[in-house]
Amino acid sequence: MAHAIWSGAINFGLVTIPVKLFTAVRSDDLRFNFLHKKDDGRIFNERHCTVCGEKVEYADLVRGYEYEKGQYVTLSDDDFKSVRPEATQSVEILEFVELEQINPMYFDTPYYLEPEKKGRHAYALLRESLREAGKVGIARVIIRSREHLAALKPNGEALILELMHFADELVAQSDFDFPELKEKVAPAELSMAKMLIDSMTVEAFEPEKFTDEYKEAVMAMIEARVAGEQVTAPETKRPAATNVVNLMDVLQRSLEATKRAGTGTAAKPKAVAPKKSASAAKPKRKKSAA
Amino acid sequence: MAASVKTQLAVGGRSLAVTNLDKVLWPRDGYTKGDLIAYYRAVAQWLLPHMQRRPLTLERYPNGIDQAGWWEKHIPKGLPEWVPTVKTAASTRHEQIEFILCDDEATLAYVANLAAVVLHVWYSREPTLEVPDFILIDLDPGEGCTLATLAQVALAARAELATVGITPLVKTTGGSGLHVVVPLEPRYGWDQVKAFAELIARRIHDVEPDRTTLDRTIARRPKGTVYLDFVQVGKGKTYVAPFSVRARDGAPVSMPIAWSEVEAMRRKRAKSTAPEMTRWNISNVPRLLAKDGDPWSKAWQPYGLEPVIAAARSLWS
Repeated sequence: MAHAIWSGAINFGLVTIPVKLFTAVRSDDLRFNFLHKKDDGRIFNERHCTVCGEKVEYADLVRGYEYEKGQYVTLSDDDFKSVRPEATQSVEILEFVELEQINPMYFDTPYYLEPEKKGRHAYALLRESLREAGKVGIARVIIRSREHLAALKPNGEALILELMHFADELVAQSDFDFPELKEKVAPAELSMAKMLIDSMTVEAFEPEKFTDEYKEAVMAMIEARVAGEQVTAPETKRPAATNVVNLMDVLQRSLEATKRAGTGTAAKPKAVAPKKSASAAKPKRKKSAA
Repeated sequence: MAASVKTQLAVGGRSLAVTNLDKVLWPRDGYTKGDLIAYYRAVAQWLLPHMQRRPLTLERYPNGIDQAGWWEKHIPKGLPEWVPTVKTAASTRHEQIEFILCDDEATLAYVANLAAVVLHVWYSREPTLEVPDFILIDLDPGEGCTLATLAQVALAARAELATVGITPLVKTTGGSGLHVVVPLEPRYGWDQVKAFAELIARRIHDVEPDRTTLDRTIARRPKGTVYLDFVQVGKGKTYVAPFSVRARDGAPVSMPIAWSEVEAMRRKRAKSTAPEMTRWNISNVPRLLAKDGDPWSKAWQPYGLEPVIAAARSLWS
């Protein structure tokens, strides 16, 4: 059983429910260590200063924020401490809202809240009332010294706490070019598309059906290595060393290819409007000569 | 502090509300936001031709240059409707961003009022955003690099480019280095112009191996050399516009200069480059421009790459 992140309480109004907070997502990315190719030695990193060249100990590091190329503001541990939220171990419910009111894009990482013995009844009561009302609690919670916005949701027997993005973290949809909702589609097209969707529709979503195929392939390769089999890796191409002669050849070929394509540009033919591009280069001269 | 004070400014046939003109942005020099707006208006006729139809990124310092500023690509909230904009992907990724196009003096005054000290613009212009119309090599002097060394490297770049038929342009960065610029006909893709920039940088390094370095890792660059940075050209990348102010003490300006200035620098005995590179600033540049005009205006001549590469293949191999 995993360790609790903290023991604290769910608070709303005058109600306090003692709970423990557990992580609900197991991140099991493939982990590798870097080794020295020739002797399989583990590699450790030494920090060196780019100004004095000296080796730098951890204690001598400060954090710098690059606000302009090469220009830093530095912040010390005390600076961070001064703005760090007080480490209250509580899920403080601020308001309740219907689950449907929250765009799922806001949800990020789920955590489990497990009740302490003396809180079991109140826990069950909160869970059932949320379920019947079809609502979730919106709460503030501090996890590893960072404050988060979160939703408290009934999930079967459990209450889960799902961390949410703050509004300014989401990239605005209006930044992209999507077809309008009014975009005309023919009824025949629509019914064809719907038929296709129907034919691919399943009764229920079974997440177990889907697995990370890349990870499985890598693990299979590792297991084979451990068992002593030869596994040949595909050859990867290394970029050729560039020098002046090489570059000139590459450029020459690129320019010739462009010419053969007859568009005037290798990249995006549509970008070249001869009239406009010719004028694009000129106003500098004309206007500044005045 | 007093509440924000509004003033109406008549500029380019529009009435623009500007605020807090007395706010000091350069604490050690005393220059205010009013000075910044006045500077940009004074140089507008020379600056605007270099900015027009290029997506603009603002580097803003509303609380002065001692406070962390920030870069702003997206149009700010409350942008007046008369300010032209363009929506485009800001890199090879697909995120669409709406940028300001600083095409007129009113827009320039508007962004100056946002305390946009530094103006960064694209290498290409609307409506041909996919094809850049110049490249640059950033000559970045490292520790211990003298003014004469920097000037020598710049002059070597000019000499090498001259052999293949190009007369490049040069400006100060407003920091410690120089930008060498080659105007291009706007009909080459990003990969082609990037390769061309790299070719020039490598050629300069070949002829000035002791004074230059191509090493991107600062710690490995030999002392007293000039780093030839050719990787700053690309889709969505920007350069500091000519005549843009920098957020440094003295309010220096990124100044287009004549090659004769660089020749004079080569004869000077300065231990470091910064004092010379920052002697153009918001108080002397308007006067210099009114007297001599923009040294780039007549020299800006776009080159086609085909004859250049053909010449380079016979001369640089």
